[in-house]
Amino acid sequence: MGPRMSRAVSALAVALAATLMLSSCDAAALAGGADAAATPPLSEVTPLSDPAAWEGPSTAVAAQAAVDPITDGEQVLPATVVDAQGTEVSIADTSRILTLDIYGSLSRIVFELGLGDSVVARDTSSGFVEAAGLPVVTENGHDLNAEAILDAAPTVILTDTSLGPWDTILQMRDAGIPVVVVDSHRSLENIGDLVQQVAGALGVPERGRALAARTTAEVDAKIAEIAAVAPSDPAEKLRMMFLYVRGQSGVYYLFGEESGADSLIEALGGIDVAGEIGWQGMRPVTDEALVDANPDLLIMMTKGLESVGGVDGLVEHLPAVAQTDAGRHRRIVDMSDTTVLSFGPAAASVLDALAVAVYAPEAAG
Amino acid sequence: MSMVASEPVDATRTPARAVRPAGPRKHRIPVLATGVFAGMTLALVALAVVSAGSGQLVIPPDQVAGAFARAWNDAVSAAGLGALSVPDGAAMTHVNGEATLWLIRMPRLIMAVLVGATLATAGVVMQGVFRNPLAEPGVIGISSGAAVGASAAIVFGLTFAGPLTLPLLAFVGGLAATVIVYSSARADGRTEVVTLVLTGIAVNAVGGAAIALFTYLGSTQEREQIVFWQLGSLNGTRWQDLAIVAPLALVGVVACFFFAGSLDLLALGERQAEHLGVRVERLRVAAIVVIALLTCAAVAFVGIIGFVGLVVPHLMRMILGPAHRLLLPACALGGSVLLLAADLVARTAVPGSELPIGMLTALIGGPFFFWLLRRTRRRSGGWG
Repeated sequence: MGPRMSRAVSALAVALAATLMLSSCDAAALAGGADAAATPPLSEVTPLSDPAAWEGPSTAVAAQAAVDPITDGEQVLPATVVDAQGTEVSIADTSRILTLDIYGSLSRIVFELGLGDSVVARDTSSGFVEAAGLPVVTENGHDLNAEAILDAAPTVILTDTSLGPWDTILQMRDAGIPVVVVDSHRSLENIGDLVQQVAGALGVPERGRALAARTTAEVDAKIAEIAAVAPSDPAEKLRMMFLYVRGQSGVYYLFGEESGADSLIEALGGIDVAGEIGWQGMRPVTDEALVDANPDLLIMMTKGLESVGGVDGLVEHLPAVAQTDAGRHRRIVDMSDTTVLSFGPAAASVLDALAVAVYAPEAAG
Repeated sequence: MSMVASEPVDATRTPARAVRPAGPRKHRIPVLATGVFAGMTLALVALAVVSAGSGQLVIPPDQVAGAFARAWNDAVSAAGLGALSVPDGAAMTHVNGEATLWLIRMPRLIMAVLVGATLATAGVVMQGVFRNPLAEPGVIGISSGAAVGASAAIVFGLTFAGPLTLPLLAFVGGLAATVIVYSSARADGRTEVVTLVLTGIAVNAVGGAAIALFTYLGSTQEREQIVFWQLGSLNGTRWQDLAIVAPLALVGVVACFFFAGSLDLLALGERQAEHLGVRVERLRVAAIVVIALLTCAAVAFVGIIGFVGLVVPHLMRMILGPAHRLLLPACALGGSVLLLAADLVARTAVPGSELPIGMLTALIGGPFFFWLLRRTRRRSGGWG
């Protein structure tokens, strides 16, 4: 090996080291989270008389409600269920439960069903206090790692299709671990259904019914409470849009029907602008479509808003936003990425915080 | 050792050796070749052992050895040769140790070996048949052709051929790209480097556009599948995948060995090869089909892994010379070693995370390619 060769080798080593450092920095940045003070409850604030006239952004932070497990109802095992994909799965042992979904709602449901002690690991989205100490098995946020999952040695895996690669899930089935796939669709309407799918798979259908009823009742009560403070005249309702922005490269998606953002906006007493223009799913939106839709208020994810440099950066980098009423009035409401569309048993507290940020922005800050 | 061949794909300088490898330099070549093959085989075995024992789930070496001993015992007793059994060795302490070793690591390890061999063999045959040192599935757009086929299968949810649909469409896409590149880059019986590269740019651009369109059409989940596929990863390899890739790869690589003699003669020039009894046109068509087959076998399940087909053949040619009889098996072995090593780094370098393997091979391949370009320019004024 000549000197030229060794020079090439050392250059390569330097490049490799630099890449490795970069990727570990990214991982560190992802792990860090902000612990902001919770938004005061809707019942304690004075809503604006004309929410459309308010200028300025606000942040919604859902109150960290402690897990309130339901323990009435015996667990019956083995449980045999037909999952959302039509696969018949039999679960005999729930002593080591692993839940994997991009929203973090499944783990919360398991905790609320009184089986939190059996959960052995978590996905990055399950950030609530009771689960925070568990080891994380999703690499880079949402890639599954087969060896990490097997290392946790679960006896049952609950997932939807929001985390991949799907082959990893199939490998778990190969390894003899029962995998129950639940509905990957999240909205306010199907929380109860989701809860019962999870409860059925874990052999606690009775607790599932109780939790579903409790959650639905809480959400319905919250929607009624919000309706009381939101403008009732359709002409005065706020026109809202859920905008997903990542980085300053101009990647921005409008969340439309079926994304869960539609049911969120309706629950907040707003008009779903994306639904008005027939927007389906999560797709990139053009500047002109955004200007044309002209929302009064934008709901965004906190980390997404940070990645464009806050509200100032958003208006600067996406000139189209500045051409809407929301941009002109800087009417941007942001909420934590892992919370805003999670639609779990804590959905009522999410709605509460968002409603305060929308209708009493001064109190939300 | 870099004096053996001063230029890549330069069999014209030593035609006698190309035709009869055991020519006047009878002693040096076999010794060198034996050494190279022995070294690479040792490296492959060592890497396989290290790979089997490392990963996120910690399995101590004695337990890995124990698991292999037990598997050996099961195999020999099933074959009625119980006398050959060995002591059982250390038992697995982790409840999922066996599953991890046999269902996660072994398929992945074998996939790395197969894909590495496949890519490197496809590269060397392509360079021979195009008579061009730059030919490589990734550079000239065959991989992106295959990617177009694969993304179409993902986005349109096509399943007409069952689990074979995706590899089949990847093959069709790869074959189409190969035919386009070959028919448009060739002039007067050979391909100009510049024409080939420009054709590759065009094919890659069209392929990129088609992939972008499919990405746009796809749902979030399909989009992630396409991105995953484009980055290249051996994560999630299962035995079922191997059952499809292994026959394709083995048939393809073995078929390539039959081209060895003809490719050596083709290096002399088309007319000369024709005079020496090579049916050039038939060789070309067969080689192109096999190349597309190999590329699709390589990319169907693990996605696009670049530069293996470029780095390994050039490196082997520098060491062993341009005769394909030695070069082909050496490349197959070298590709396996390179990809197995790259995958080991990819899954263990950053704890709890996995690097895209395509990034790693490009990281090694890019600078190497740069160095190769400079070296060729210094010695012979570059590729024309």
